[in-house]
Formats: sequence, C-alpha cells, structure tokens
Amino acid sequence: MAEAAQEKNPSLAEQWSLQDKEDKSAQSEVPVEKTTGDEKPADATAEEVVSEKTGETPVVDDANPVAEENSKTPEQEETESQEAAEETPAIKLETAPADFRFPTTNQTRHCFTRYIEYHKCTAVKGEGAPECEKFAKYYRSLCPSEWIERWNEQRENGTFPGPL
Amino acid sequence: MIEVFLEWRFLTIAPCDAAEPWQLGSQDAATPIMQGIIDLHHDIFFFLILIFVFVSRMLVRALWHFHEQKNPIPQRIVHGTTIEIIRTIFPSIIPMFIAIPSFALLYSMDEVVVDPAITIKAIGHQWYRSYEYSDYNSSDEQSLTFDSYTIPEDDPELGQSRLLEVDNRVVVPAKTHLRMIVTPADVPHSWAVPSSGVKCDAVPGRSNQTSILVQREGVYYGQCSEIRGTNHAFTIVVEAVPLKDYGSRVSNQFILQTN
Repeated sequence: MAEAAQEKNPSLAEQWSLQDKEDKSAQSEVPVEKTTGDEKPADATAEEVVSEKTGETPVVDDANPVAEENSKTPEQEETESQEAAEETPAIKLETAPADFRFPTTNQTRHCFTRYIEYHKCTAVKGEGAPECEKFAKYYRSLCPSEWIERWNEQRENGTFPGPL
Repeated sequence: MIEVFLEWRFLTIAPCDAAEPWQLGSQDAATPIMQGIIDLHHDIFFFLILIFVFVSRMLVRALWHFHEQKNPIPQRIVHGTTIEIIRTIFPSIIPMFIAIPSFALLYSMDEVVVDPAITIKAIGHQWYRSYEYSDYNSSDEQSLTFDSYTIPEDDPELGQSRLLEVDNRVVVPAKTHLRMIVTPADVPHSWAVPSSGVKCDAVPGRSNQTSILVQREGVYYGQCSEIRGTNHAFTIVVEAVPLKDYGSRVSNQFILQTN
C-alpha cells in the first residue's frame, strides 16, 4: 500500500509545499527572532523583563490565514462560517513561540521559566497587569495543568522551589 | 489456502493510516518528516543491496569452487597491498554516504524552525490519555481538556479496528505547525504516530516536545511504545481537519466545557 502511493506522487515539492502559509511565517520570522533573542535568561531581574516588553511586537498573528481561507470558500460556506462566528467567539491561533533558550526536545525548563517569568512580572507590575498576560499564556500553553496546580499550591504554602 | 492469504493481505477493510495485516513497508507519509524517513530508508537500502550482492558473490564463489581433492583451498591470495587498501577504504566511505542524509534528517526532526501555531499537551495516564488545549485559556483553572480511552476489545462498532480506536480523538488542524508537549502523570508512556513520523517518549517529571505538520486531512492511528502495566492505554488516534473546522470545533467544545 505504501509503495503504491509513493509511485503515484507526481512531484514531492508540489505535494509538500505550503502555499500561502510559508511566506506568512517568513514575514513574521524577523520580529519574533528579535524578541526571543533579546530576552534575558531566567535569572534576569523582573524589572528588565518588564521594561523590554514595551518594545516588543506581537507574536505570529495566525488569525489572518483563517480569514483568508474563509474568503476563498464559496458564498454558501461563508455564510455558514459567519453564523458560526456569531454564536462562538473566534479562536485565535497563537501559542508560545519557539524559544532559543530551549532548543531541545526537553521543554521542562521552558515551562518552568515561563511560569517564573509571569510571577516575577506580576510581583513588579501588580496582579493582573496586562503586560504579564503574555507570560501567563505561554506557561499555560507549555505546562501540564497538573504541574501548574502543584506549583500554585506550593506558592500559597511558601514552599515553591524556584526564584520568585 | 492461497485465497485465504490473498483475502488477508489485500481485502482487509482497514483504515488508510493504520497498520494493516502483513504490512512490510511504512505507512503512507502524512508529514514531511515521515516522507524524509521513507526516503532515507530507500537510500540506505540501495547500499544494503550493493553490499549484500557483493558479499554473497564472494561467499557463493568460494563455496562453488571448493573441492575436497581437486581444490581444497579455494582462495589462494594471502597478501596484496592494493586489495587491502581498497577493502579498508571502501567500507569506510559507505557509512559516510549513509551518515550524511541520516544526520540531516535527524537534526531536521529536532529543530523547530518556525513558531508553532498550536500547542497540544498529550498527558499519559496508565489507563487513558488526556489531551489539553490550553492556548485559549484565560485562567489556570479553565482549560479544554478531555480524556481519550481505548475502545475495549468486546465493543468496537462496525468498521472500527480492534484495540485501535478511542472514544475521543485528538483533533488537530492540517497544514499547521503543531507543538506536541508529551508528558505522563504516572507511568512512562510514548506518543507515537507512524504516519506522522513521530515517536516521543513521555518521562515522568519531564515534558518533551515534538513538532508535526500534518499535510493532509485524515485519521491517523498510532500506538504507545512503552507498555507499562496491565491494561496500559496504548491507542492514539489523531484526526486532522481543515483549519476552519478546527476553529469551530475547539470553540464549540470550549464553550461546552467552560459553561
């Protein structure tokens, strides 16, 4: 079965190419690289973390491809999707970016660092500061919820092992 | 007998991206990485056959020319500088030809080139798996989480594969860069989907990431590769849907769960 399917393939380059998605990511690569490259390691002071954030551009905005795809479809589908959008809030495709501090398969510290970054940020900027929401989104994306629960508990008891 | 075999081999009603009986090759590739793995396999097979033919020719020839009285020593060369140089250098060049594409593929699997659009957490438990879609959360408590149990052996529906189907599939968008975070809650697991070319071990206390880019919509079946304990949940089913369907499915589920 596998062999048969491969013989049928007309051109691999054609099949594996990402049409409009590819140049989208190429465009957004530049600002992302800048932001992640500038970021200080985990032990940097919270002030630094906060101050550099002001200059940052938002990460990959993947809401556009959705809109493009919708516009491509025939009218009938478009009305359908509009109806769906009315009753449900649109999902923004966005997650923690690839971080050059953690290029390996092991992402345990990536999650931990983002958690600490968020709590350092709130310690300086105050609870619920809009600047810190970014870090909260990142650690929620990266950490298993069980870990977050455990760490939250540890912070309440004052037994959290990390530098806060 | 032959009929039974043919029926077994070709006429099975099997899902396209699952293992089939008597399968010898890989499953059809769904990601560029898997295509790379299949291509590398074919590349290496070229050298494998070359060496196999050469070695078996020497072996068969020596056996063929041996005769107890007439030709008791079939090979009379005991020393020769040229042949020794050739047979030392040549076998060391062949592994290089194998190593170059192999390493290129290995590192390309590891590397996260573009920022992923979605992070999905696959959390292994001994008797089930749970999946978390936490990109859309606004607090620590609310999260789109569901458990995925293997359909037991005694009640699959018609058309479902035995012990290869789950009650809740992982829904992912096609043609989108995904980050899978793989970690277990109790025993070690392994999240493996053959047609995506992904096999990622889940080690307690550690979270591993692997990235996939599913190129076509479909249902992909995989199995856990670390079977720890009785009734270990080993079935993985990934359903790739178009991006806009993914959006509506996630938002619908999200509303169901949070309200």
